[in-house]
Amino acid sequence: MASAVYFCDHNGKPLLSRRYRDDIPLSAIDKFPILLSDLEEQSNLIPPCLNHNGLEYLFIQHNDLYVVAIVTSLSANAAAIFTFLHKLVEVLSDYLKTVEEESIRDNFVIIYELLDEVMDYGIPQITETKMLKQYITQKSFKLVKSAKKKRNATRPPVALTNSVSWRPEGITHKKNEAFLDIVESINMLMTQKGQVLRSEIIGDVKVNSKLSGMPDLKLGINDKGIFSKYLDDDTNIPSASATTSDNNTETDKKPSITSSSATNKKKVNIELEDLKFHQCVRLSKFENEKIITFIPPDGKFDLMNYRLSTTIKPLIWCDVNVQVHSNSRIEIHCKAKAQIKRKSTATNVEILIPVPDDADTPTFKYSHGSLKYVPEKSAILWKIRSFPGGKEYSMSAELGLPSISNNEDGNRTIPKSNAEILKGPVQIKFQIPYFTTSGIQVRYLKINEPKLQYKSYPWVRYITQSGDDYTIRLT
Amino acid sequence: MPPLDKRIKKFLKDSIRIAPKISGKGELSELRTGLVSQYPQTRKDAIKKTIQQMTLGKDVSSLFPDVLKNIATIDVEQKKLVYLYVMNYAETHPELCILAVNTFITDAQDPNPLIRCMAIRTMSMIRVDKILEYIETPLRRTLHDDNAYVRKTAVICVAKLFQLNKDLCVELGVVEDLVNALDDSNPLVIANATAALIEIHNMDMDAVDLSSLIQSHVSQFLLALNECTEWARIIILGTLSEYSAKDSLEAQDIIDRVTAHLQHVNPAVVLATIKVIVRNLPQIEYSSNSLIMKRLSSAFVSLMSTPPEMQYVALKNIRIILEKYPELLTKELRIFYVKFNDPLYVKLEKIDILVRLVDPSNLKQCTLLLTELKEYAMEYEPEFVSRAIQALSQLGIKYAQESFVSKVLDILLELLERQDTIKDDCCISLCDLLRHCPGNDKMAKQVCAVFNTWSNPEVLLQSDIAKCNYVWLLGQHPNNFSDLESKINIFIENFVQEEALTQMSLLMTIVRLHATLTGSMLQSVLELATQQTHELDVRDMAMMYWRCLSMPNNESLVNDLCQNKLPMISNTLEKFSPEVLEKLLMELGTISSIYFKPDSNRRKGKKYVQNIVKGKHIEELESMAKNEISSKANDDVLLDFDERDDVTNTNAGMLNTSTTLGDLDDLFDFGPSEDATQINTNDTKAVQGLKELKLGGDSNGISSGGKNNPDVSGGNIVSQDLLDLF
Repeated sequence: MASAVYFCDHNGKPLLSRRYRDDIPLSAIDKFPILLSDLEEQSNLIPPCLNHNGLEYLFIQHNDLYVVAIVTSLSANAAAIFTFLHKLVEVLSDYLKTVEEESIRDNFVIIYELLDEVMDYGIPQITETKMLKQYITQKSFKLVKSAKKKRNATRPPVALTNSVSWRPEGITHKKNEAFLDIVESINMLMTQKGQVLRSEIIGDVKVNSKLSGMPDLKLGINDKGIFSKYLDDDTNIPSASATTSDNNTETDKKPSITSSSATNKKKVNIELEDLKFHQCVRLSKFENEKIITFIPPDGKFDLMNYRLSTTIKPLIWCDVNVQVHSNSRIEIHCKAKAQIKRKSTATNVEILIPVPDDADTPTFKYSHGSLKYVPEKSAILWKIRSFPGGKEYSMSAELGLPSISNNEDGNRTIPKSNAEILKGPVQIKFQIPYFTTSGIQVRYLKINEPKLQYKSYPWVRYITQSGDDYTIRLT
Repeated sequence: MPPLDKRIKKFLKDSIRIAPKISGKGELSELRTGLVSQYPQTRKDAIKKTIQQMTLGKDVSSLFPDVLKNIATIDVEQKKLVYLYVMNYAETHPELCILAVNTFITDAQDPNPLIRCMAIRTMSMIRVDKILEYIETPLRRTLHDDNAYVRKTAVICVAKLFQLNKDLCVELGVVEDLVNALDDSNPLVIANATAALIEIHNMDMDAVDLSSLIQSHVSQFLLALNECTEWARIIILGTLSEYSAKDSLEAQDIIDRVTAHLQHVNPAVVLATIKVIVRNLPQIEYSSNSLIMKRLSSAFVSLMSTPPEMQYVALKNIRIILEKYPELLTKELRIFYVKFNDPLYVKLEKIDILVRLVDPSNLKQCTLLLTELKEYAMEYEPEFVSRAIQALSQLGIKYAQESFVSKVLDILLELLERQDTIKDDCCISLCDLLRHCPGNDKMAKQVCAVFNTWSNPEVLLQSDIAKCNYVWLLGQHPNNFSDLESKINIFIENFVQEEALTQMSLLMTIVRLHATLTGSMLQSVLELATQQTHELDVRDMAMMYWRCLSMPNNESLVNDLCQNKLPMISNTLEKFSPEVLEKLLMELGTISSIYFKPDSNRRKGKKYVQNIVKGKHIEELESMAKNEISSKANDDVLLDFDERDDVTNTNAGMLNTSTTLGDLDDLFDFGPSEDATQINTNDTKAVQGLKELKLGGDSNGISSGGKNNPDVSGGNIVSQDLLDLF
């Protein structure tokens, strides 16, 4: 598989590297920046896999870095390499917080150590941070103490090669708790008129496990992986409350809003389009019995994610009206509406409306939140911290445009489309706590530790937020 | 515990830095002093600084002896750094490495498994014959270590050793140990052993009988699958996809056992699972097919919410699978709608999939896609817009109904009005549509009316293909253009500057219309084409026309050549040839599947390369033997400089020859594989397009030639059309 892994700066110059095989010349990476710049000259199209002189350069970008793997064989598994590179960055971010040029330079010792462990001879090995942290500890920062501690510690944990390779034995917590966060991200593409072109819900069940021993967990969601959904456009979906039904556990209810009218609504079962599980979930058990059982890693992890691509009504809707008076000014009128039930509140709402690159002298009128011009993004940003359901806020903005444009065409009568002037759509970000769009509910989370038999407390929290593509297309 | 004062003393010695002044400058002399300092902390600092210099790309190999002195330490971190250094610079000081051997061997027996691992891992990476000589004992011991973590490292070391010194590896018989490791109790060891065997197999096909090993271990693999890390699962699934099931029952069983992995969070695991299923799918009963198809489809959809690089691989693979199972994702069209923040390379692939995916019998879906593509065509990224315009015509032709085609035509004409930069793409797409509806005069009139308004098409259109299409249209619908002669004249004036396609198209158009045009035009274009061009095809074509025209019955002959009824083009989407498709299906997820270049016929070449490596190692063994004799003669004198020079020289020499040979081998390798897979390069395709032109028949080759993926055998369609003409 991979012959070497490199961390390169934003120009493609190597910062740190680890060669896993001897089958590539040392100078192979020197060609990488040249390949990049050659491609950039030709077009904007830069695929993540470049070929030169029989070597394949597979790379990903992260902050100001390129992470490159050089591969000699066309039969190498590209999917595994790309996934590995992403995972590598993930592992490093756990150790260094931010992975960027500077932190790579500053922490070369620990990075070399990690590179040794995550891959051997180009074959990915162990990338489970929770386990790596057991024996690759961040001592490089505390130089003085390290020598002593080293003597007895730092052995690979036994569990590393067990079938439960993500959890060491002998973990103890004073209070045994498990936190479940159900986060639903909404991706939606709308036209200016409000027609929904594409919408999907990406759900993520995050767990923060603070449980002792080797607990076995069983998660029940409404109706064995088949979520009931209220296909109702008023989006009066009850946000679920947490209940637990194990005798060892106590029922806890987080503040949540249940809509009384919801019971009358038509209930339709829809099947989840795809569920993805963390490696701790027993996949064959789920396949056969539709039961989600697992021994969790300690601390935070993503237990599962799911996706639904049903048509949903926009939760935050913006009626944006852009008028371009070429060579003089641009007028923007925007009416935002929170189309969620009155008891819910959307928080941290951000509406980013693109304006031409050369716009200037903005003047704003708005009733709520804050509005500012962000020239580096060529956009205006309207922030509303708290946006209660059913409310409607509006704003208007006017920006000047230069009177002479460079590409003026005397004969042209047809104005450019908005898509050409305003590069990109309106983007909206928001969060709605205590609310899920799909109607997913946790019925129970049973925690069973066969040896310790302790009391445990599961906590469940729901949140709906915008995904990375909640946009309104301007045409 | 020692008395307090001693502890304090030691603490002071360890931690209070009396002389740790290793500055960041990294001067060699300073580092050297630091490396031999009496303070452990200073030494460690110095090692770190040395590694730092190494990371920055400075040559710190001259510090080798001093760094080596620090190898025997109880500090794991320091040991790791020294090992790293030794691994990097061993080749510069092969004679000194012997000093490290002892530490390696002791470390390989250390009670701490981490250190055992490090020792064997590093040892097997050092390309120095003297070290490898001593590898037998530690390697054997670690292969049978109690600790699975050590074993899983040791099995990979066998592959490393094989690469460095095949003969030694065979001599030691460790490959058999590797085979035995397939029956290990630990799934991770099984996976790594499999990976190592595959590596060895790739280096030398005769070393292990991989396929029969896989055959006999399928049940172990299936068992281990549920128990191991995500990366091990990828290896095992990859191996399972190499295995062909004995009968439909076994195929069904394999599919059932792996299907759960479609829900793994790691996209590479998902793709590897898909590969196993696709491999076994043809064998199973048709009845259970639809359920599996549903699972596959949702797995692919889930890959669309992964990082863009992964999406790119997935999209390329979807492209391959769609050709085998076109109905797979038809319901999921919307998933492939382009997101504004997708990288360009993902956007382009998505458009490709959208056009392929759309169900040509579903008007609603096609209309939806049409509006979507129109949006794309009004975006600002030129490559994206150009691809979207191409897709518009592809969609129109795919749906095939004239009313729909005319809708597409309207959109294209509307786009044409908007912007100058997209004229090329619109021109090509419009001509493609007209070729699809050869009898539709209304459309032709519409298009020609717009083209007619262009004052200077020669300047407006940039690319060869666009110009070629424009000139072709002039020849097809001369009556729809006003002032035809002046339009053609512009092109004749620039004849020499034009590229081959335009030249030929122009030649053909003028011959076709010679009866209506001024006689001098024909004369001048024939002269230009025979005298002023270096393109052989253009010249030949001109000669042929000239001869025909000078024959007694030239009118009917030219008519026969030029006035044929045009064949309708019904598909502008490229397809793989069946053999290529089958091979690609076997190679899902690999780099070759991204390039659409099956790798399987390159294997032969690899074996050859290995032979060269082997040859080099024979040389190395010789020099090793020589070294040994001389070192014995010198009685432990380690620094024998003459000998060292000798070794490095031979190494360097051999390295050179092997790379040049490798290059040569690459050259040889490329040719046959191309033939075998029927890859059409741009050139051959363009030539095919030209040949068609020459015959006076009409071609879709004009539009498809040149700008297509070279790997796709679209040429087959072209040549098929060619045959049809006769």
